Amino acid sequence: MPSPPGARLLPPEAPGVGLVWWPALAPLVAPGTDLVSVLEVEPQAFWELVAHGGQPHYRANEALFEQVAAVQLPKLLHGVGHPFCNAAEDPVDPWPLWRQAVERLNPLWVSEHLSFNRTTGPQGRVESAGFLLPPPQTCVAVRQAARNIRLFRQRLQRPVAFETGVHYLRPQADEMGDGEFFVAVSKAADADLLLDLHNLWCNERNGRCSVEAVLEALPLHRVRELHLAGGMQERGFWLDAHSAAVPQPLMELTERLLPRLPALGALIFELLPEHLPAVGLDGVQRQLEQLQALWGRRPPMRWTLPVFRPQAADAPGQDFGDEEAALALAPQLRRLVDALSAPLSSSAGADPGLRVLQGLIADFRRGALARTLRHTLSLLLLGLGRQETSALLDEYIHAFAPEPFAAIEAEQFCQWLQGLLPRLRGRMPLLAEVLAFEQALVRVTRHGTASTLQWSVDPSALLGLLAAGQAPAGLAPQSVTMVLEAG
Amino acid sequence: MSELNPQPLPPFADRVRVHVPQAALYDLAKMNKITANVLGRLGCGGCHSGRILDYVALDEFVVNPVTLEPHEVLAGRQVG
Repeated sequence: MPSPPGARLLPPEAPGVGLVWWPALAPLVAPGTDLVSVLEVEPQAFWELVAHGGQPHYRANEALFEQVAAVQLPKLLHGVGHPFCNAAEDPVDPWPLWRQAVERLNPLWVSEHLSFNRTTGPQGRVESAGFLLPPPQTCVAVRQAARNIRLFRQRLQRPVAFETGVHYLRPQADEMGDGEFFVAVSKAADADLLLDLHNLWCNERNGRCSVEAVLEALPLHRVRELHLAGGMQERGFWLDAHSAAVPQPLMELTERLLPRLPALGALIFELLPEHLPAVGLDGVQRQLEQLQALWGRRPPMRWTLPVFRPQAADAPGQDFGDEEAALALAPQLRRLVDALSAPLSSSAGADPGLRVLQGLIADFRRGALARTLRHTLSLLLLGLGRQETSALLDEYIHAFAPEPFAAIEAEQFCQWLQGLLPRLRGRMPLLAEVLAFEQALVRVTRHGTASTLQWSVDPSALLGLLAAGQAPAGLAPQSVTMVLEAG
Repeated sequence: MSELNPQPLPPFADRVRVHVPQAALYDLAKMNKITANVLGRLGCGGCHSGRILDYVALDEFVVNPVTLEPHEVLAGRQVG
């Protein structure tokens, strides 16, 4: 009988230490290296939301998927776009690409966050919240999470775990404690846990439940995976920024905890690629060596590969619990989104975590624009200066709901900035041309629509100067017509 | 600016062709690199709950790559 696809990658024992895969980390998983035993892939990070032919749909970066599929290690899939506490469905069907990722990478299990990231707006339009946000820890949220986990499991036909989330807001009197909430979801969904120790550590440092109290409450025999990361201090909060090495106290906690986790299959180090220059590949390597040493010191444990078993409650045709949970939860989620989009009171009673979340969402949006419209923003910074550019971006951020995909945020910003050109053109005569170029790049990618651009100077020289952070002075006039079209 | 996003350029460039119909003083290789740089950064962000510093880094880079001091003197002048 032929082996199922990817069967040779199925580990006879718990896979062990791994990392979240980014192309820049590829040298650490090259043939001949043995630092990494399992790869975690965040599929949405390699998706785009395009609208060729007018119909929005997700598109995967095939080359990157091929690159990661070629790595001869077991894989895990970790969602960052369809968290389990959403009460609003993604308006663009993500499941064909999810299933494609499962087929191509053959993950041992799949995980997502116990958070929400979209709500229904005033006109009934589903809107992005701009970030993974914490749900209210109530019975209704438990019911909705269980419903979504069961749907997720049924759609992907893989074992599913949920991630214990970070929470920057103050605990509320009518909410469950952090551990109690995680236990309730695990029971209601019959689901394993992805225990993110850095998240719990953040929560404790920021005034919520202690890590020990949460661990005492959790069903440790259901912890399938651990996440470890480093963070940063911001406005008196410790952030789960995935920006540094794992803090030493957390390493020590992990070592104490490992013998208590019989179902644990993977110990994953998370680092965002933008922080790799600060940590360095050698720094990541040292981190992996430390984790391998911890893993090696675990007592021998009998480990069983989780297997997807269709459950009666997950069967197609079931309503996965109740629509009432979604209806009851939706306005609660929206209240947080509305609070974050309004100017915050500076009164002593205001939750300082709201201000932190507002700042993070704004950073996320400014970052998306800086990556996609780098030359336009460089010109704005050079032409308007720091304060005026920052004020311009704030004006945009307050006027429009966030978009999770950088290209859509960029498209929205370009349209808005076009309207300001009459007043900005006098100070930056080339702004219209640079903006039109980057807008055309986004358009051809998102919609497949070709553009013809007129330049009054050599575009490569102009963009080269901006890429170097230099004001475009002294360029000789030159008429250039450029065509951008889908390849 | 590659330090802002250390990911190697994903191979998006083959999706978009940039061409200039007439002979012009024009660096096509540089243009294609710029294009690929932008096209490689259009997706969704990764998993985290921290700050995204791309704009901060761009601001500091553009403002003064050597001293990181702001060139506010440019504000109000015509720069391009």
